[in-house]
Amino acid sequence: MTKPLSSNAAEPAAGDVTVDIGAERIARVYAQAIIEAADRKGCRGQVLGELAGIVRKVLPAVPRARDVFASPRIGTDEKARMIDAITKGRTLPTTAHALHVLARHGRLGLLAEVVTSAERLAAELEGRKQATFTTAVPLAAAEQARIVTEVEQAVSATLAPTFAVDPDIIGGLVVRIGDTVYDQSVATALVRLGERLKKRSIHEIQYGRDRLSPA
Amino acid sequence: MKFNTDEIASVLREEIDQFETGIDVREVGRVLEVGDGIARVWGLSGVMAGEMVEFPGGITGLAFNLEENSVGVIILGDYLKVTEGDEVRSTGRLLSVPVGDAVIGRVLDPLGNPLDGKGPVVTDLRRPVEALAPGIAERQPVREPLQTGIKAVDAMTPIGRGQRELIIGDRKTGKTAIGIDAIINQKNSGVKCFYVAVGQKDSSVAVVIDTLRKYGAMDYTTVIVSGASTAAPLQYIAPYSGTAMAEHFMYNGQHALIVYDDLSKQATAYRQLSLLMRRPPGREAYPGDVFYAHSRLLERSAKLSKELGGGSLTSLPIIETLEGEVSAYIPTNVISITDGQIYLQPDLFFAGQRPAMNVGISVSRVGGAAQTKAMKKVAGGLRLDLASFRELEAFAQLGTDLDAATQQRLDRGYRMVELLKQGQYQPLDVVDQVLSIYAGTRGFLDDVKRDEVADWEKSFLTFVRDQVPELRARIEQTKELDGESERQLEAAIADFKRQRAAGESHGNRELAGAAR
Repeated sequence: MTKPLSSNAAEPAAGDVTVDIGAERIARVYAQAIIEAADRKGCRGQVLGELAGIVRKVLPAVPRARDVFASPRIGTDEKARMIDAITKGRTLPTTAHALHVLARHGRLGLLAEVVTSAERLAAELEGRKQATFTTAVPLAAAEQARIVTEVEQAVSATLAPTFAVDPDIIGGLVVRIGDTVYDQSVATALVRLGERLKKRSIHEIQYGRDRLSPA
Repeated sequence: MKFNTDEIASVLREEIDQFETGIDVREVGRVLEVGDGIARVWGLSGVMAGEMVEFPGGITGLAFNLEENSVGVIILGDYLKVTEGDEVRSTGRLLSVPVGDAVIGRVLDPLGNPLDGKGPVVTDLRRPVEALAPGIAERQPVREPLQTGIKAVDAMTPIGRGQRELIIGDRKTGKTAIGIDAIINQKNSGVKCFYVAVGQKDSSVAVVIDTLRKYGAMDYTTVIVSGASTAAPLQYIAPYSGTAMAEHFMYNGQHALIVYDDLSKQATAYRQLSLLMRRPPGREAYPGDVFYAHSRLLERSAKLSKELGGGSLTSLPIIETLEGEVSAYIPTNVISITDGQIYLQPDLFFAGQRPAMNVGISVSRVGGAAQTKAMKKVAGGLRLDLASFRELEAFAQLGTDLDAATQQRLDRGYRMVELLKQGQYQPLDVVDQVLSIYAGTRGFLDDVKRDEVADWEKSFLTFVRDQVPELRARIEQTKELDGESERQLEAAIADFKRQRAAGESHGNRELAGAAR
């Protein structure tokens, strides 16, 4: 039982688990606001792309930038100047405004969470669902495409797929869409079989005992 | 005895043949934090309140708090095996326990797992742990008696089948003893008994089980144990699962008795859970719904209507008070829920009056209708008489000279108090109770010395059993004490007194002879 269930824990977190519930809740509010603001300008994809770029490309390149963003000791004006320097002429005004708003409310440290949250919200709004496909061996691109299409048909939804490899599932396929897991792995099937065998054996033994006991 | 291994092997082969890899669909979440029997879970977005969830390793939990973006789960089992990052799956089921004849005579944990080493509980019957109480149309008034075998209780705070009678008192005042005596007395009554131990020392529970076994009560009793070392979630659900097991018999037209020992510990466990779940604390830091926790539990005790088979579930919840403080939060709650209370007092206990029941403030709100006519007749004014005796007694301690009438009432009172003393595990048949209480209330004991009352009663009951069996049979049959029976009884008492006096003088002569 432990194996297939815990195998998911070995997966890369893939940004779908935010450990800090409080931060996640705050981030969602900002994410929603940013998406709505971008929608009004009709540039949702671009704004999200730019923010994601800042979080995933710019910040890792400058390791201390994150600390600077998160630090309450650095004043709002200072942060505003930095944001201006980063965004001037390179991004849409909405993106820059979003960063300014976060800075003014002292939430710039939550930028990564805000972006993750916004991406999830956007996917929801577009009817796309996050899906993780786990297999025991890596799949060829053609196979991946085929599986995604088939699953999309089965659940009648558009998927934003990610692929993972976990030899522990032995064989078969585990698809996780949102909080629902469709598990057709050999490992889980073996566990279920084991449970059934154990139950039947106990039942048979008990039944046999009742039949054989003198009373 | 040998198992037919071939048979088992063939069953297994069959299973393997049918082995196919169906899709296992589950809704999952991930454990964010875990500790003290609760877990905070991320995900599980479709889980319902009270739904059972499963942790790796087959540990179950209950969705307790549904929050905006996490689920608070109480872990029923070894929470030390659950770690951060574990996958949690919802099961779509409610928590249920095995019920029926298979649980009778067993010692189980609150999930229905055996603790007595007598093998698995083999039954397909299960009932949800949390169930709605029967509604008003499904009930009828309490009218059948549930004899506890304790004179003081059966005479003054009678309990009817379907009633909830609270047993309340400080520690070490004999609360459990009343519950156990009541269970032992159900031996030939066909009432199935359930003893739910919540937060009790495992050693005391072992003693209780041993006692029940010794008096042959385990043949019709189930013990549900979640001791002091069990995690709070299990202590919290233990009374509900015990009730589920008992309800099964009620809904099948049978009678059941359940003793919750004790609900203050359950309230404490619930408080712990609620505080860990960050529910706002109220009075004495208990959560706001602790009243509901007890009321929905005790409402499940009922006397069902005839259409539903007329089964009943009687409950004896126990509450431990601190220094006699009945106006604390939990005691007042449970007093207001139940149909009466038996109040036990330490000073009475240490004065040798056992059961140490304070007659003045112990009541039974519905049990009177369930008393047999004979008992009602002999015990009618007993409660008030004893209460007024207590007052007089306090007055008499001032050392004033008393007039003859007052002195006489005092003497009667002293003898009644003596008569109501009863040893543990010595339940009395209701006819015997009627006989001895009749002798006491009608003044036949006034000339017996106070320290001889117990002995007098004992030999009188033996005398009636041996020499006037027709009187016993008559009362047993009619459940009434009509004029004829009363005449016979008075004659029997006179007879007995004569014999006793003769025996005594005989004994005295012998003693005198021996001295010479």
